[in-house]
Amino acid sequence: MEAAIETDGLTKKFGDFTAVDDVRFTVKEGEIFGFLGPNGAGKSTTIKMLTTLLYPTSGSAKICGYDVVKERDQVRSSIGIVFQDRSSDWWLTGRENLDFHARMYKLGGQERKKRIEEVIALLDLKGKENVKLYDLPEGVRRRFEVARGFITSPEVVFLDEPTIGFDIKARMDLWEEIKNAREIEGVTVSLTTHYIEEADYLCDRVAIIDQGKIIAIDTPAKLKEAVGTNLISVVIANQKEKGPEFVSKVKQLEWVKGVEEYGKEILLDVERGEGRVAELVSFSEKNGFVIVSVDEREPNLEDVFVQLTGRTIREAEGASKDMQMRRNMRRAGAR
Amino acid sequence: MEDQHDVDQSGVKEKKQDQQAADKSSGIKTRSDVMRAGKKRRPLLEGQPIYSMWLRELIRFFRMKTRTASALVSPFTWMILFGLPLSKLFPGGNFFEGLPFFAFVVPGILGMGLLFSGTNSGVTVLWDKEFGFLKEVMVAPVRRTSLMIGRSLGAMTIAMFQGLISIAIALFFGIWFGFHIVSVSGLLLALGFMVATFWTFVGFGLTLGALIEGTEGFMALVSMIEMPLFFLSGSMFPINVVKGIPVLYQIQFVNPLTYGIDGIRGSLTGVYLISPFLDFAVISGCALFFLFLGTYAFTKMEVG
Repeated sequence: MEAAIETDGLTKKFGDFTAVDDVRFTVKEGEIFGFLGPNGAGKSTTIKMLTTLLYPTSGSAKICGYDVVKERDQVRSSIGIVFQDRSSDWWLTGRENLDFHARMYKLGGQERKKRIEEVIALLDLKGKENVKLYDLPEGVRRRFEVARGFITSPEVVFLDEPTIGFDIKARMDLWEEIKNAREIEGVTVSLTTHYIEEADYLCDRVAIIDQGKIIAIDTPAKLKEAVGTNLISVVIANQKEKGPEFVSKVKQLEWVKGVEEYGKEILLDVERGEGRVAELVSFSEKNGFVIVSVDEREPNLEDVFVQLTGRTIREAEGASKDMQMRRNMRRAGAR
Repeated sequence: MEDQHDVDQSGVKEKKQDQQAADKSSGIKTRSDVMRAGKKRRPLLEGQPIYSMWLRELIRFFRMKTRTASALVSPFTWMILFGLPLSKLFPGGNFFEGLPFFAFVVPGILGMGLLFSGTNSGVTVLWDKEFGFLKEVMVAPVRRTSLMIGRSLGAMTIAMFQGLISIAIALFFGIWFGFHIVSVSGLLLALGFMVATFWTFVGFGLTLGALIEGTEGFMALVSMIEMPLFFLSGSMFPINVVKGIPVLYQIQFVNPLTYGIDGIRGSLTGVYLISPFLDFAVISGCALFFLFLGTYAFTKMEVG
């Protein structure tokens, strides 16, 4: 089977700055492949090279067997692109935008009409196609852009941060639609994201990218397995006084790999194994701590990133740890 | 269009087979062959993209109600609020070579509209870039020239539509203020001059836009260039009025708009100051020259 995307030593330098550094990967046909990493990690630059918008400094990349430098036209006809920022005309309706795009690719009359109906159904946009985009919510506009990516029946669709700025409902809807579209159209999807949930839920395989380098490539399940620890969050009674004591004592348990106090919560990095929560409860009773709540969760892709780079995706983007912890808590709570 | 695809496709398939023979490892699928075929050898003029850009321009024009309204109102403003009062300033039937003032100034107002809308259209081709719209189109396997032509054709349709409204208004008030068209063929010839004038400034605007980076203060610069072109073109006063003022007088003859307006005025009213042939040669030559220059600048431009 031919690879949908194949790169070899792909590198892009802007002056002295190496944005993408010797990147090597293969995407199989029909796969949903994600680039996960902080902003500025080189995801968009990689996608721009793969979609012929930027020339690589060195190395090569092939889309469906076509070289992105030497066979630009063939590459362009084989792909659909959904850009990160707005790229549709809001004064036109969704259908007009789709029609415009299809004509740009010289899709003939009957074929064009058929494809427009198909992608409208594919992204669940029936009933909204005749309203000008100005009057539609952001999520719906975005779906029209995604639909447009599919309209030319491309073999590979590139999505650059498809759900950036979405609320959770809109995000989950779009994930379903992208998965669905892949099933129906049999197309390869390559996307970039800095949302770990997106990479985890949507992608068959994920490349974790940081500072221009791919640091891990695998299925989300295998990446998480490699972490080897789970996270337990504990809330104890009278934490203000008891907290420090609890932390110093719990550290001595051999299966506890790390402890962190955050607000009311104490986060434990624990070696994976049966009955960790029960052991923790009996340990607390023995030492006179009262546990208010305890929750164990499996590692997510964020933990994978932390293990590989020593920092969270948020930290890598320069935001405070504070916000990262809040996010962690919310995520743990949502489970 | 459809036929073209089929022809191209067969050509490409042959090429592909050669390629496959040469490189066994690359199994090429046939799914988007039809689409690929269109791109292999791009035709010089691409019907669909041009039509599509044209249509988009018209849809936007009619959907932005303020734009539509302003386009409908502005011919009235100039013809009625400028043309009529100033006619009172120059009473009598002979302002210039037997033409009353109103009949003299109508072609000038038409030329002014074409200057502004043409330049504006050329300049704004580049502004789609700001909205990411150009980027989307740039990855489509389409010639940039087609985009430019389609968009400008849209702007031309609007400008000509405005021009015709202006002429209609002028004819109506011309009953009392002495403007009428000499013949139907004169009207058709005037439309030809209008088209050539419009394209000259589309090309001019494109060139300006591609040469000058950034949009800050750009419009001010454009109007700084436009205004002298407008005044020194025989639009508002006959060109020989400034005969005694050395530089001003000569500038009029290197200004393409002078020839465009003289052509429009001559074909509508029968009074040429230069000559129909020279007018036609200069303005159509300028249209081709600036379009070529503008297209060249546009295709060489980086779109990030």
